[in-house]
Amino acid sequence: MGREKAGRKREAMPGTSTGPAQTWGRFSRYSSALLFFFTFCAVVVVGLFVIRDLRRADKDEQNMFTGSVLSLHRIAALEYQTQETRRSTLYALGTADSNLHVKYADQSREADHLVSEGIAAYLANARTRNELDIGSRLRRDWSTYLSVRDEVLASILEGSAKEAVDRDLTEGVASFDRVRQDLAEIERVYDQQAAQQLSNVDATSRRTILRVAGVLAITLVATIASVWTIQRMRMTGAIQLAKLQMEFVASVSHELRTPLAVISSAADNIADGLVREKDDLRKYGAAIQTQSRQMMELVDQILLFSATKDRAGHAAFRTLDVARIVDSVIHQTAGLVRASGFHIELEMEPALPSVRGDASGLARCLQNMIVNAVKYGGESRWIGVRAFLRHSHLRGRSEIQIAVRDRGIGIAKSELARVFEPFYRSPAVVGEQIHGTGLGLSLSKNIAEAMGGHLTVESELGSGSVFTLHLPIVGDPGSQAAEDPGSQAAAENGVRGTTEK
Amino acid sequence: MLRRAHVLFLFCAALLAGALLACSFGLAELSASEQAAAERNLAIVVNQSNPVNELTMAELRRVFLGERGHWPNGRRITLVMLEPGWPERAAVLTSIYHMDEAEFNNHFLHGLFTGEVFVSPKTLSTPEGVRKFIFNVPGAIGYLRASDVDKTVKVIHIDERLPGDKGYKLHVPPREGK
Repeated sequence: MGREKAGRKREAMPGTSTGPAQTWGRFSRYSSALLFFFTFCAVVVVGLFVIRDLRRADKDEQNMFTGSVLSLHRIAALEYQTQETRRSTLYALGTADSNLHVKYADQSREADHLVSEGIAAYLANARTRNELDIGSRLRRDWSTYLSVRDEVLASILEGSAKEAVDRDLTEGVASFDRVRQDLAEIERVYDQQAAQQLSNVDATSRRTILRVAGVLAITLVATIASVWTIQRMRMTGAIQLAKLQMEFVASVSHELRTPLAVISSAADNIADGLVREKDDLRKYGAAIQTQSRQMMELVDQILLFSATKDRAGHAAFRTLDVARIVDSVIHQTAGLVRASGFHIELEMEPALPSVRGDASGLARCLQNMIVNAVKYGGESRWIGVRAFLRHSHLRGRSEIQIAVRDRGIGIAKSELARVFEPFYRSPAVVGEQIHGTGLGLSLSKNIAEAMGGHLTVESELGSGSVFTLHLPIVGDPGSQAAEDPGSQAAAENGVRGTTEK
Repeated sequence: MLRRAHVLFLFCAALLAGALLACSFGLAELSASEQAAAERNLAIVVNQSNPVNELTMAELRRVFLGERGHWPNGRRITLVMLEPGWPERAAVLTSIYHMDEAEFNNHFLHGLFTGEVFVSPKTLSTPEGVRKFIFNVPGAIGYLRASDVDKTVKVIHIDERLPGDKGYKLHVPPREGK
């Protein structure tokens, strides 16, 4: 029944659920991962730029403060002290008290000492040629003014106010103006530097804002794209599931309709009195019996699948003799195989170890595999069943593998990934009117995983297929570790395992 | 032999230590006496830029009386006096002017009126003020207790003698407050 899913043509039929949806699903998965990766990279790169900008802006601000702002403050203090030097000198003119003269002279000298220190500090911190030139000029002009100031001060202290005023007007004012011009020039230089640094900070700030906005925009776009992609994936999945379920209902209805039609026809004939002979009655009874059993079998399979999916099924695990179960299944399906004109070639290694699982489940699984081989075995009419012991390097354990091979029509590569999906039936199979529910292989896979094993398929279109059931053996050290996934799968499938033999 | 050398060495060391101790005591005593002398001597001080290093007592008297208007470098002479009540002023009036306060005042009033005196003295309230005044005025001359002198002013020789020299004539009573 599971093989009903397998596609018989290389391309999916138009209008079916395969092809674009599947491609879209893969694209969505990969594109989401890629989108996330690129978004992450973009955010990291832009974030690094933003951090660099912020650090640069911080440095510019520090430079502006320590360089220009503090220097402007120092120059302002310097200007004040120069004024204080001159002011104190001129204050002395306003009194004839020699004691006050001395006091003002002291104040003037203290102020000029501070100015000299300020000029020396400016020269020590000067970085450009222009700054050095201005600083040297200021020092020279200040020295010139101080010599005039000393003379003016001396004249005032001597009591020659007129002489002091004359000297101050002729020499003092001019020399002091030169000092003020020098200071103004220094201030202008600092202003220019501050303006330049402010401009740098402003530019960095604008750049940072743009980058942050870029990061936010990228993140927003990526988030929208991711949400859209995820929603699209979910919607596509839901549509696919709905379509599969519709197909399943149609398929089941069809599967039920055929035997029901036979039963109904036989019942009508009997009821209408058309069948009177005992032999005919027996024949009609046998037909009704056969069709009823088929219907029951179909219903059982659907219920079993439902039970495993809903975790409502219970299976008792025990140690199983694989060879005996294989023989039993071949015996059970012998009638169908013979009726279909097939013959089974059995190859079984001697003394196969035991596996642990549910005997009826294992039998159902093998039965599905053999029935599928009959359905899609093609004209060769040959089925190969092989049971053997192998060590799986991938899983690090020894396992029994039961392979069911046919030389039939095979499965397209594009279909291989989907043959185990529940309700999935290849459009090619549907097109060829091969009946089935789309549950057989899915059910077999669930049973295999419940027993700690798995089901694999290898196939080539036109050459046939091999379905292999892998079961961990009892007592293998590797299988102990591998038991957990099996137990997990069992739990997922609603199968409760026991350890009793 | 060796023990004798040791004893000799220790003896010499003790002598040397004693000598050093005596010297230090002597120096300390000398320093104290010098300090006391500086306290008692009255120094005549001028601006550091003043080229004059020496005056005779007669020249000094002429300067203090206001009879001399300029220094050799052309700078106007500015006489600086402490306010009345200072022992330094009393000493100057006694030693240089040979006047009392009233005579001193009359001298300058009369001199300024007649033109015999070129400039009246500047009066300051403290020795520190005197020192600062002289520091600021290149042609200023004044007097200070030798202990009040610092590097901002220059002490000149009077009759070839500096305060503390033997035969120096300008003295002031020890300071007992103003």
